[in-house]
Amino acid sequence: MSYIISFILAIVSYMVIDNVILSRYFGICSFIGVSNKIKSAVSMGIAVAFVTILAALVCWPIYTFILVPAKMEYMETIVFILVIASLVQIVGYFIKKKSPTLYRSLGIYLPLITTNCAVLGVVESNMAFDFGRSMANAIGTSLGFILVIFLFACIRGRLESSNTPKAFKGVPIALIVAGIMAIVFMGLSGLIDLGSWGVI
Amino acid sequence: MDAMNILWAVLLMVGLGIVFALLLVLFSKIFYVEEDKRIDAVEKMLPNYNCGACGKAGCRDLAEAIVNGEVKKVSTCKAGKKDKNYDPIIAYLSSTPGPDGKTINIDL
Repeated sequence: MSYIISFILAIVSYMVIDNVILSRYFGICSFIGVSNKIKSAVSMGIAVAFVTILAALVCWPIYTFILVPAKMEYMETIVFILVIASLVQIVGYFIKKKSPTLYRSLGIYLPLITTNCAVLGVVESNMAFDFGRSMANAIGTSLGFILVIFLFACIRGRLESSNTPKAFKGVPIALIVAGIMAIVFMGLSGLIDLGSWGVI
Repeated sequence: MDAMNILWAVLLMVGLGIVFALLLVLFSKIFYVEEDKRIDAVEKMLPNYNCGACGKAGCRDLAEAIVNGEVKKVSTCKAGKKDKNYDPIIAYLSSTPGPDGKTINIDL
């Protein structure tokens, strides 16, 4: 199989089959917290996607060309946190300059991406991969995050107006729905076998 | 040997920290947004508890709203005190003209 086909398959695999929220359980906090409105859910998804891809792009060279030669792989977590926090700040400056309206609508969610476990989880799991697979992981995971948070926001919009028992109103029924979504996505597992492609 | 490992790890973090700090400074200069200087001044005169009792997302947000004229009363800030916060802000805004050359007369 050629490298490009594997790359595309890996993106699809990380997007729907090995989904970041529903099968790896990263980023649940923003998944539950920001999915009240479709618009804010999608903006959060796009911001997370942007930061994830940038972080993967920066962290892989730092790990491979600085930490591994210096035999300091054990420092990876704190170095990645530093990189992600700086990137979020830079992205914040950029959005503030280019689009103040987007900056306002993202509001507090922008700095909160710093503590989004999805970003750190992707970057950490990338360290076993080569550059191609780590980029596929970042892109696929980001798309998967946007897809699932959008679907979930749509479902929650319908739940608001539906007649749920009083004890289940709000977050409890949302958690049950998230569980059902995870079961649905589980049906896709094993569809694509990436094997050892891109593993160092 | 172990002590040396710790030293190298600290040096690495310091080095990376300096690099990213410089990058942040660079980007904050490149993407600098011209803002009304009165927003910073008003923010300093607010209590800076960031309690959110005014209904805004923190003291900076309230300072912006005051300078933009969205908030008509200084006492929207529930945590403020008259002599410490309200009076200086009223005095400052009525004496300092903004970029448009006008001063703001805000009520208590």
